[in-house]
Amino acid sequence: MISVSNISVDIGSRRILEDISFTARPGQVTVVIGPNGSGKSTLLKALCRDNPFSGTIAINGHDVGGMSPAMAATMRAVLPQSSTLPFPFTVREVVAMGLTAGRPGIAPDALRRLPDEALARVDLSGFGARFYGELSGGEQQRVQLARVICQVWQPVLDDVPRYLFLDEPVSSLDIKHQLMIMDVARRFADAGGGVVAILHDLNLAAMYADTIVALRDGRVAGMGTPATVLRDELIASVFDCPMRVGALPPRSVPFVLPQSVQRPDALSLSSKVA
Amino acid sequence: MTAMAVDRLAAATPAGDRSGLGRITVAALLVLLLVAMVVSMTTGASGASTWGIIGGWFGHGPASEQLAARDHAVIYNIRLPRMILGVLIGAALAVSGLLMQGLFRNPLADPGLVGVSAGAGLGAVSIIVLGTTALAPLTAFLGIYALQLAAFGGGLVTTFILYRVATRSGQTAIATMLLAGIALGALAGAVTGVMVYIATDSQLRDLTFWGLGSLSGANWTKIMASGPIIVLALFVSAFLAKGLNALTLGEATAGHLGISVQRFKRVVIVAVAAATGASVAVSGGIGFVGIVVPHLLRLVIGPDHRYLLPATALLGAAFLLLADAVSRVVVAPAELPIGIVTAAVGGPFFLWILLRKRAAFAW
Repeated sequence: MISVSNISVDIGSRRILEDISFTARPGQVTVVIGPNGSGKSTLLKALCRDNPFSGTIAINGHDVGGMSPAMAATMRAVLPQSSTLPFPFTVREVVAMGLTAGRPGIAPDALRRLPDEALARVDLSGFGARFYGELSGGEQQRVQLARVICQVWQPVLDDVPRYLFLDEPVSSLDIKHQLMIMDVARRFADAGGGVVAILHDLNLAAMYADTIVALRDGRVAGMGTPATVLRDELIASVFDCPMRVGALPPRSVPFVLPQSVQRPDALSLSSKVA
Repeated sequence: MTAMAVDRLAAATPAGDRSGLGRITVAALLVLLLVAMVVSMTTGASGASTWGIIGGWFGHGPASEQLAARDHAVIYNIRLPRMILGVLIGAALAVSGLLMQGLFRNPLADPGLVGVSAGAGLGAVSIIVLGTTALAPLTAFLGIYALQLAAFGGGLVTTFILYRVATRSGQTAIATMLLAGIALGALAGAVTGVMVYIATDSQLRDLTFWGLGSLSGANWTKIMASGPIIVLALFVSAFLAKGLNALTLGEATAGHLGISVQRFKRVVIVAVAAATGASVAVSGGIGFVGIVVPHLLRLVIGPDHRYLLPATALLGAAFLLLADAVSRVVVAPAELPIGIVTAAVGGPFFLWILLRKRAAFAW
């Protein structure tokens, strides 16, 4: 379990995060949502101890403040928003960097095949020999995800759950790969690991999250299951933008329709259909 | 048959895994270095024959005892120390270039280009000029290591300042780095100029001799002074491969992969300054080895530092020995300073790198 208690972050004289507390449980996908500048990335940096913060963050009971980078690398892997490489590495070489200090938790003889298996999971089989710098942004993002899942290949190692921190994992992906990548995250959680993901797409958040943490101006504006957080007033106030949350009866998964508010004629059309 | 062996290797190697190629290249470079060592030992102005000496051990030596004694002196007191120093300095220059490129995440970083060599040179010149006056206590305390350690200190200070100026939150701006390097190099050059201005006549002779960028003054004392520092720096850098690979993904990601980034960077900076300082102290400024050698090898085996580091050390040593052999032969019986040879090869090569800029990788 990841317990975040009373986290505040100041950068310069500005307070970026104010008194954030939540828990991210193994077996669950925890999604952080919020508008630009609400502190989502700063929160993720605090979880990785990249930013100084006040308060405490513990992963599986270990305070991240007292954790060596090598130890932290065995407990969680982090997907950055984007990565450029100064040297011409092949895709496979980039993925294999996930094995730098992490413990994938598999037999040494299987380790050699691991980068290729990880590439298959992100739908990049056969890309191993390509140069990373020649791929599209979306493909690069999936290569990085393959590297990240190599680092914590077994979601549970020695009965201890491990975590994926994903900073906008689907930001430059087409719809097919958005769903595919979120499925990778979902399966990781179903196998006993934990996932903390920053997402901008509220419908993906609704589909995949067990818990949603909504940030606004560096504070927690709402927290809970998608059904409790994705409500008209809360979402509209968090994003400072009128929106209406709908649900389809068969699956009762909430979905968000900004167009239903901003274009009144479209709204009347859909109400006629309904 | 060879083709079949290559096919089998390809089938056993996953696509994009160049580690087999890396191993083969390191082995081939080891052979190349041995060849270069032989060339270095058998090239020179005197007719002394290394084979004659080796033959002499087996009773087939030169006919004249006197000739044998002269050849013996040439081989043991001139060529052998020169060859050993060439290996040490070639490896040190090439590896310090590679380390710096990894630290700055930039293939154009090189101690010679960004002022680190100039800083190290200032340290060395200070000892030559002020060693008997203002810095006398320091010189006395450090003994034969005074020149080396002063150059090390100068290189360390320059690298540290450069890093602080050019790097903001883990990202190094190439323009800032190159310009800061030019500024630091010019500053070190200015102070060096002052030193030259106040130097005595005999010190000027030493300075000129030293500043040529040459292996010609090689002797056992210089090897004793610089050798241990270079060997230590190379030994430490052998453990930096995984960290340098991780660092190419950026400092934050290297940290997430389990590297203690701040400590790692400090080790790299000290290793660069030690290798550069110890080289500059005995050989003056020999440029471009640190750019040409790593870049050429990246084209062949890729940027994986696990193979790039040993390959760079080996090729750097072989390259400098061969350049030194050329410098001894082209204007024989005189010698061209080796810095001229490396610059004649390295300058055009550097321009070629710049022209290839829009190829496979972006900076």
